[in-house]
Amino acid sequence: MPTNGSRRTFVKSVGAAAGGTALAGAMPLLWGSARAAEALKVGFISPRTGPLAGFGEGDPYVLELVRKSLARGFSAGGTGYAVEILDRDTQSDPARAGQLAKELINGNGIDFMLTTSTPETVNPVSDACEAAGVPCLSTVMPWEAWYFGRGAKPGQPSPFKWTYHFSFGVKNFFDCYVSQWHELPTNKKVGVLYPNDADGNAIREHLIPDLQKAGFTVIDPGPYEDGTSDYSAQIARYKAENCEIFNTFPIPPDFATFWRQASQQGYTKIVKIAQIAKTGLFPSNVEALGSLGDKLATACYWHRDFPYKSSLTGVSSRELADGYERASGKQWNQQLGASLSLFDAGFQALKNSAAAKNKAAVAKALGALNTITIVGKVDFLAGPFPNVSPTSIIGSQWVKSKAGSKFPFDMVITEHANDPKVPVTAKLLPYS
Amino acid sequence: MIWADQIVQGIFLGGYYALIACGLSFMFGVLRIINLAHGSIAVLSAYLVWMLADRWNVSPFLALVAIVPAMAAAGWLLQRTVLERSLRSGALTPLLSTFGLAVMLDNLLFEKFGADTRSLAPNIGDLAFNSWTVGGGVTIGQLALLTFGVALALLGGLQLFLNRTPLGRAIRATAEDADTAELVGIDSRRVYAAAAAIAIATVAIAGTFLGMRATFDPYTGPAQLIFAFEAIVIGGTGSLWGTLIGGIVLGVAQNLGSQVSPRGFLIAGHAVFFVVLAARFVLAGRDPRTLFGALRRAPI
Repeated sequence: MPTNGSRRTFVKSVGAAAGGTALAGAMPLLWGSARAAEALKVGFISPRTGPLAGFGEGDPYVLELVRKSLARGFSAGGTGYAVEILDRDTQSDPARAGQLAKELINGNGIDFMLTTSTPETVNPVSDACEAAGVPCLSTVMPWEAWYFGRGAKPGQPSPFKWTYHFSFGVKNFFDCYVSQWHELPTNKKVGVLYPNDADGNAIREHLIPDLQKAGFTVIDPGPYEDGTSDYSAQIARYKAENCEIFNTFPIPPDFATFWRQASQQGYTKIVKIAQIAKTGLFPSNVEALGSLGDKLATACYWHRDFPYKSSLTGVSSRELADGYERASGKQWNQQLGASLSLFDAGFQALKNSAAAKNKAAVAKALGALNTITIVGKVDFLAGPFPNVSPTSIIGSQWVKSKAGSKFPFDMVITEHANDPKVPVTAKLLPYS
Repeated sequence: MIWADQIVQGIFLGGYYALIACGLSFMFGVLRIINLAHGSIAVLSAYLVWMLADRWNVSPFLALVAIVPAMAAAGWLLQRTVLERSLRSGALTPLLSTFGLAVMLDNLLFEKFGADTRSLAPNIGDLAFNSWTVGGGVTIGQLALLTFGVALALLGGLQLFLNRTPLGRAIRATAEDADTAELVGIDSRRVYAAAAAIAIATVAIAGTFLGMRATFDPYTGPAQLIFAFEAIVIGGTGSLWGTLIGGIVLGVAQNLGSQVSPRGFLIAGHAVFFVVLAARFVLAGRDPRTLFGALRRAPI
């Protein structure tokens, strides 16, 4: 029996067999050429409009690079395929993300799914693929929220057969922060502002105990709700405790409100290291803060100075950043590399499977994938769980650009505990 | 001492809420329209001010001089082309048409300006984050004080305008009973259009302060509605001073809630909103129509 999704091939072969008895001699030739022109359909789902649009801003450029390099087809296991990439925009809506995935699976009959950026995108798409038995590779959301957030339990075998995820996790943040925070002398008192949402609670539960074990005193006023518009209570607490290190995982508009208030109420004069995550990923987040954005410490999952190149397109990190700036007139951002790495890893798995249209073979190849992408190593054999490959988070800092730059702020790399191959390009400077 | 600071910050936060709510309150009181595009129009104004400020490097306050009349004209046009027609076909239609307008505005802004986060704070320099320290650990942000002052001036000015000027009287009369007002020679269409122009002009000011206090992107608008709406309901629908008091009650409640536990910020605000609404409901003798009774009264 034909497996789900290859009905078209089945019908085609039945048709050829029924109508083509007279051409029996020519059959193998016809069959062979039909196979060579066969289209491999790959879905790509990301947020391009709506509140998460910052993540998808570089996707048209990345897709152009990928399509160009696949224009002459793609070959796996000696078979050539014409590749069709079907890209879809979730409009930042999780319900729409799931709906789009189902349409691509049932309506377009895709062979393979790629998806990126935030739990609101990745989780619903992964769930739809797992349910339909379509291999899916994803990136850019904490892997704990992907693995445990979708029902996996520690100590039990992985419940996922079709979905694989490579991305940073809490441990990567921990290693990065400990390394970054030892760059400057401080009183090792960390004021944390973690919201009551999926990311905030995961970080509170897993990161705080590890930081305490590593010798930091953590001052946590407790979870607040996203959309809070006044933070005087928290700021008073950080000031009273003299927290020289500050760490937060807020949604970007909340951080702008918080940080201006912290400045009004005198807390920013105390802070030596202001380590922000989830906000400050993109240049526009920092520009919106004006002079308060200078010397904010952050972390990145890809950077222009990464030493890796894209295995699929051959483009180096520097070329990707410069090419995007030339094509769009906008400053490079870290999601460019992450989106491209998804195609690097995904097409390597298709190649390794030797049968790119065989869904089970592709899923198996994903589980055994060990490759170098533009963000670095993706290795599903190295654990911690079968469907997960943690990737690095590199400590960095926003500083005023050098004279002559078109853009007001530049991101420099200040530590590399997660991946020593990434070059450190600057020393961490104190916030105040 | 911490509590004193919380209350002071809450009062200033309330001033900001009242400023954001002012245009919504005015439109609610006079035109009987819950303008669901209120937040999006505020963000649109912030973008327009940002465009002027960024391109010609002018102060956002100076840019407002150009943007306020432009937005007033847009308000007039909005009333004549959209709101007037939708008001004629029942109470639900204006809700739907302003909702549609909000969706349209958000996506047009995205098409024009992209996904980048913007703020007007870099254009006002130190004013965005400077403050004065008064006794007892209480600090007063310069921008917060300015926002409060503008809210006070705007709400007070509108109140004076309604009470003391011929157009203000005409607006009150039309809001009370448009048909009777027409009998005494008031052109209600013109009065409504003027009221919409005033309301949208105040939204331009609110949008600018939103842009200076926080950040905005094309999809920030709808989130601004909730606090503005709560401030109006707490203060009594259609009453301008009520909106200021409602904003302050909401801001102080949120900050006190946040002092108890950071999670309490939103809960305390929503709880006050709910209690006030429930109290009105009970006092109104369980007749849901009188709940919004203030609507039918003049906006005093």
